[in-house]
Amino acid sequence: MTDIKLNLENAVIKYEDTIVINDLSLQVHGGEMAFITGANGSGKSTLMRGIAGLLPLSAGRLTRSAKMSYVPQIEEADRDFPACVREIVLTGTQRKKKFFYTRCDYELANKIMKELFIYELANREIKNLSGGQLRRVFLARALCGEPDLLLLDEPCAGLDVESHKILFRILENELANGCAVIMVTHDDSDIEGIKDSHVIKISDGRIKI
Amino acid sequence: MSDLLALLSYPFVIRALVAGSLISICASVLGVILVLKHYSLIGHGLSEIGFASLSVASALNVPAVLISTPAVIIASFVIMFVSQKFKTAGDIAIAIASSAALALGISISSLTGGTSSTGAYLFGSVLAVSDGDLIFSVILSVVVLTIFIIFYNRLFLITYNENYARSLGINTTFYQLIISVLTALVVVSGMRITGTLLISGVIILPAVTAKNFASRFKTLVIMAGAVSFVAFIAGLVISFVFNIPAGAGVILSNSAILIFVKIFARLKNKK
Ligand SMILES: Nc1ncnc2c1ncn2[C@@H]1O[C@H](COP(=O)(O)OP(=O)(O)OP(=O)(O)O)[C@@H](O)[C@H]1O
Ligand SMILES: [Mg+2]
Repeated sequence: MTDIKLNLENAVIKYEDTIVINDLSLQVHGGEMAFITGANGSGKSTLMRGIAGLLPLSAGRLTRSAKMSYVPQIEEADRDFPACVREIVLTGTQRKKKFFYTRCDYELANKIMKELFIYELANREIKNLSGGQLRRVFLARALCGEPDLLLLDEPCAGLDVESHKILFRILENELANGCAVIMVTHDDSDIEGIKDSHVIKISDGRIKI
Repeated sequence: MSDLLALLSYPFVIRALVAGSLISICASVLGVILVLKHYSLIGHGLSEIGFASLSVASALNVPAVLISTPAVIIASFVIMFVSQKFKTAGDIAIAIASSAALALGISISSLTGGTSSTGAYLFGSVLAVSDGDLIFSVILSVVVLTIFIIFYNRLFLITYNENYARSLGINTTFYQLIISVLTALVVVSGMRITGTLLISGVIILPAVTAKNFASRFKTLVIMAGAVSFVAFIAGLVISFVFNIPAGAGVILSNSAILIFVKIFARLKNKK
C-alpha cells in the first residue's frame, strides 16, 4: 500500500530527561483505524503530541500527511476567551494558506455543527458551555480541517451516549473516505465499535504485543 | 473651556493630540492580545528596558530611537518567548529584567549627570512630540490596522490557542514576532508622551475595561481602541486643567473608566 498517512520510525520522545516514548514505530494507512490504549501515564498523549508536531522527536523519523487534525485530551486554552462556538469551529479551516474564511468554510462549519448537534449553540459564548458540549466543539473544529489524518485523544470522555454514537458514525464515514484515524481510548467497547481496527497497547514507552 | 479651545491653536498641542490618540489606540488594540495571552506585564518590562536604553543613548549622545527601538524589540521578543516556553518563569523574568534595567538606567543617567532628562523619560512630556513622532505614529497606526485586518483570523486563533495553531502548520513564531515588534514600537513611541512609568497602563487598562462588556474578540478589539481614545483625550484635558503630567492624566482617566464600568457591571448583574 502506498497510501501511508503516518509513518513513525523508531521515535523517542522525552520531557527534559525523562524518556516517555522509547523507540516506537507506527504506520497508519488511509482508511485505517488505530486505537491506542495503555495505563494512565503510559505516554499515549505524549505520543499524540509528538505525531501532531507539538513535541519534538529526540530521535527517529516522522512523516505524515499535512492534512492532519488533532483533538487534544485537554484543551489547554483559556475558556474565558471572548468567542462563540462558530468562531472556534471555523479556526479548523485555517490550515489552508489563506487569510479569510470563504463561503465554503462557513457552509462546511454549519454542516459539521449540525452533524454534531451543536448548531443551536453556534452563537453561544464558549465560556458558557458544558464540558461535553465543548468537546463536541473541538471535534467539529478538527473535522472542519477536512483531515485525512485524524488524531483523537480520548474524544469520548464526557460525551453522552447519543454523541458517542454520532461520533462513531462520523468516524466510519471518514474512514470510508480514506481518512486515517488514531484514537486514544480506555474503553474496549470503542474498539469493538469499529471493525478491522488495530489496537496498539503502550507500555514502558513501547508497543506491547 | 475657552482656555482649552485656545490651546488648540498651539501646534504642539495638536501634535500631541493626534500622535497621542493614535498611539493610545494602537497600544490598546495590541493590549487585547497581550491581556488575553496573560502577557500583561510585558509592557511594563519593556518600558523599563526602554528607559535604560534612553539613558544609554543620551550618555553616548546618539539619537534615542537608534538605541531604544532595537533594544526594546529584542527584549520584547525574548520576553514573549520565555513567557511562552516557561509559563511561570515569564513573570519572574520580566520582574528581574525590568528592575535591573531601571537600576541600570538610573545609574547611567546619574553618572552622566543627566538627572533632569531622567525625569522627562520617567514622566513623559507632551512637549516632546516632534513632527517626526507625529509621522511615525500615523505610519504605526496604519501598519497596526492593516495587520489586524489582514491577519485577523490568524491573530484570533493564535491568541486563543497557539498550540492548536501550530498543529495546523501555522508559523506561530512569525506572528509572535509581529506582535513583539509592534508592541515594542508602541512602547518606544508612547513612552515619550506618557513616560516610561505609565505606558504599560495605556496598553493594558483599555483592554481590561472593554473585556467587561465585549463578548467577542472583534468587539473587544474595537471597544478597547474606543475606550483608549476617549481616555486619552479626557486625560489630556485633565492634565491641562490640573497642570499634571499628561501620562498621569491619561492613566487616571483610564482607571476612572475601568472603575465606573466595573461598578456598572456589578449593578447590572444584581438586577
Ligand atoms: N508536560 C510534561 N512535562 C513532564 N512530564 C510530563 C508532561 N506531560 C506528561 N508527562 C509525563 O509523561 C508520562 C506520560 O504522560 P501522558 O500524558 O502521555 O500519559 P497518558 O498515557 O496520556 O495518560 P492518561 O491515560 O492519564 O491520559 C507521565 O509519566 C507524565 O508524568
Ligand atoms: Mg492522556
